[in-house]
Amino acid sequence: MTDKTTVMVRRRTFIKGASALGLAVAAPAIITKRGWAADVPTVVNSIRSLSNPYHATWNKGGEAFAKATGAEYVTLVTEGNSEKGIADIKAILAKTGGNAVINVDPNDSPDARPIVEACQQAGATVVTQWNKPNDLHPWDHDPNYVSHISFSGVPYGQQMAETLIKAMGGKGGIVALGGIESNVPAIERKAGLMKALEANPDVKLLDFQVANWSATEGLEKTNAWLTQYGDEITGIWAANDDMALAAVEALRADGRAGKVPVTGIDGIQLAVEAILAGEMAGTVSWDPFWQGGMGLSIGYHAKTGTFDPSKEPKEHREFYGTGVPVTAENAQKFYDENVKQVPQLDWNDIWGRVSGQIQYS
Amino acid sequence: MATTTDAPPAPRRVRLAAWAPLAVLVALCAVIALINPNFLSLGNAVRISQTAMIPLVLGIGATFIILMGSIDLSVEGVLTSAAVVLSMLVLNGANTNDYGLIGVAAVLCVGATIGFVNGIIHVKLKIPSFMTTLGTWFIGVGAANALLGGMAIRVNDPMIRGLAIERFLGFPWGVWLALFCLLVAIVIQNHTRFGRYLYALGGGEDLAALSGINVGRVRIAAFTIAGVFYAVGGILAAAQLGLGNAQMGAGRLFTTVTAVVVGGTALSGGEGGVLQTLVGVLIVVVLSNGMVLMGVPPSVQIGVQGLMIIAAVALSIDRRKMRVVK
Repeated sequence: MTDKTTVMVRRRTFIKGASALGLAVAAPAIITKRGWAADVPTVVNSIRSLSNPYHATWNKGGEAFAKATGAEYVTLVTEGNSEKGIADIKAILAKTGGNAVINVDPNDSPDARPIVEACQQAGATVVTQWNKPNDLHPWDHDPNYVSHISFSGVPYGQQMAETLIKAMGGKGGIVALGGIESNVPAIERKAGLMKALEANPDVKLLDFQVANWSATEGLEKTNAWLTQYGDEITGIWAANDDMALAAVEALRADGRAGKVPVTGIDGIQLAVEAILAGEMAGTVSWDPFWQGGMGLSIGYHAKTGTFDPSKEPKEHREFYGTGVPVTAENAQKFYDENVKQVPQLDWNDIWGRVSGQIQYS
Repeated sequence: MATTTDAPPAPRRVRLAAWAPLAVLVALCAVIALINPNFLSLGNAVRISQTAMIPLVLGIGATFIILMGSIDLSVEGVLTSAAVVLSMLVLNGANTNDYGLIGVAAVLCVGATIGFVNGIIHVKLKIPSFMTTLGTWFIGVGAANALLGGMAIRVNDPMIRGLAIERFLGFPWGVWLALFCLLVAIVIQNHTRFGRYLYALGGGEDLAALSGINVGRVRIAAFTIAGVFYAVGGILAAAQLGLGNAQMGAGRLFTTVTAVVVGGTALSGGEGGVLQTLVGVLIVVVLSNGMVLMGVPPSVQIGVQGLMIIAAVALSIDRRKMRVVK
């Protein structure tokens, strides 16, 4: 009997605690830098979190753009929660009365539609990146929905596989670490790898495993491969840098770091350093600094009337950005320009990295 | 396994089902070895031990908590902040610190502090361990985030990296460190009054309190000790990946609790122990290693893991003692 009462009290406390926590999480995490100016639109980046190097650099790009224009800068963080992402954007639209520029990496594809509709209703301009439904187009929401930017994984996945095969001397055995199976970038990057393998029949794909973008899982899978294939492995392809770096560490514990080339994708700092150390053969930088700053710049120029989105060609409305391959040849230069110092970008060169209109298969 | 039953004060019943996890482990190894003989190579034993060392120290800490019938969700928070603090204090790629062993001691203090805070909040404010540790999990990860601003720091300290790279008798030093932790935990569990109190609390806290055990103090001590073990896990994780960042704990909680429960430690408390956790950790690690060796398609692997959890627990629980199942 006593036992039962304690359980009930605990459960009540649990519910109280849970609702308190729920409220705390639901409260918008708006980080405001300065007070509100009157005319200049507020520029807003909405990203997944500040706990990964990619989005942290994205945020720095946004800060740099805001500093260059003197606009107020706000960072919204979804923490992987779509509801929170949308609610925070609606809150900032209400707060600024629509005098805002939103640059968003939607947490999930379906989120893009309510975000775009809220921005159109409020009169703000919006640029989306990476995720949106295939049937949502900027030209259907003139002039508020300015552009959608993405990066095709296929050519870069292929390019890294080719870099890897070149480092292997054109023959040997590859093992490959993939991202979350249902993710579009994971699917595209893998397709690129497969294309490169078709073109190089002397290279055999020993195994492909899904490591869910995670370093820990990448390390475990690579460890198992070292048992199964041993010296047959002469190259490792990874769909992102975290997994690639973990593969390097698994090789290091085996005394083979630097002897087996590894490639990643994303271009994080540690990967560039690993290329400089000769432990990785290559990576592709999406330049999140550019994404965080230029996404705002495109929306800002549309908002302030520099150009009229509805008069722009479709390849400026839905376009693939340009990734920067980093290999042993240009790693030092890339490191000096992008890591050692704050990158210098011309924020007015808004279409400089357009590499074609997005194709839907 | 022998120590649990051989230990002088061993009033717990010995059941056949208690050996089920070990049988599962042996059967699993046999099946994998039949399909891919490479599984039995020394090289693979080393790699499995490398993969198992972190879940093992985390599992040891969690076992103490689960034995009391509580739960500790702060595993990832403590591990992450420990690894991040370590990467900032020892020789690293971001600042000029080089505190070596002092840094390690500081990290263990961080773990103990978070654990202590868990215990104090849980006992003094009477907040269920589930909520308390959920909170400290987020606080730990958040603190790591705030310290690094999302970036990763490379760990260059040769002593720390040596845990993953340098070997003694063929096995990395980290594995020996994990085994040392296991030894310490066995002593705590079987040969100290505190260890017996943990079982007493898990078996029936009212009775324990009535027999004069200071329940609150035992709970606070258990959470503190668990925090230290998680911090050791953080040190090993930083050694293994060669870096500290705010994401390195991701997914660890699930493996830890799975390993503890699969090993045969009951979530209701009072039954199980750290040696069972060793078996549980090996089951989880051998299974994921074996699925790659056997060529199980990636999309099926997670499902097989789920089946294995249910099977292992179904074999080991004592249904006669259970009147209600929630």
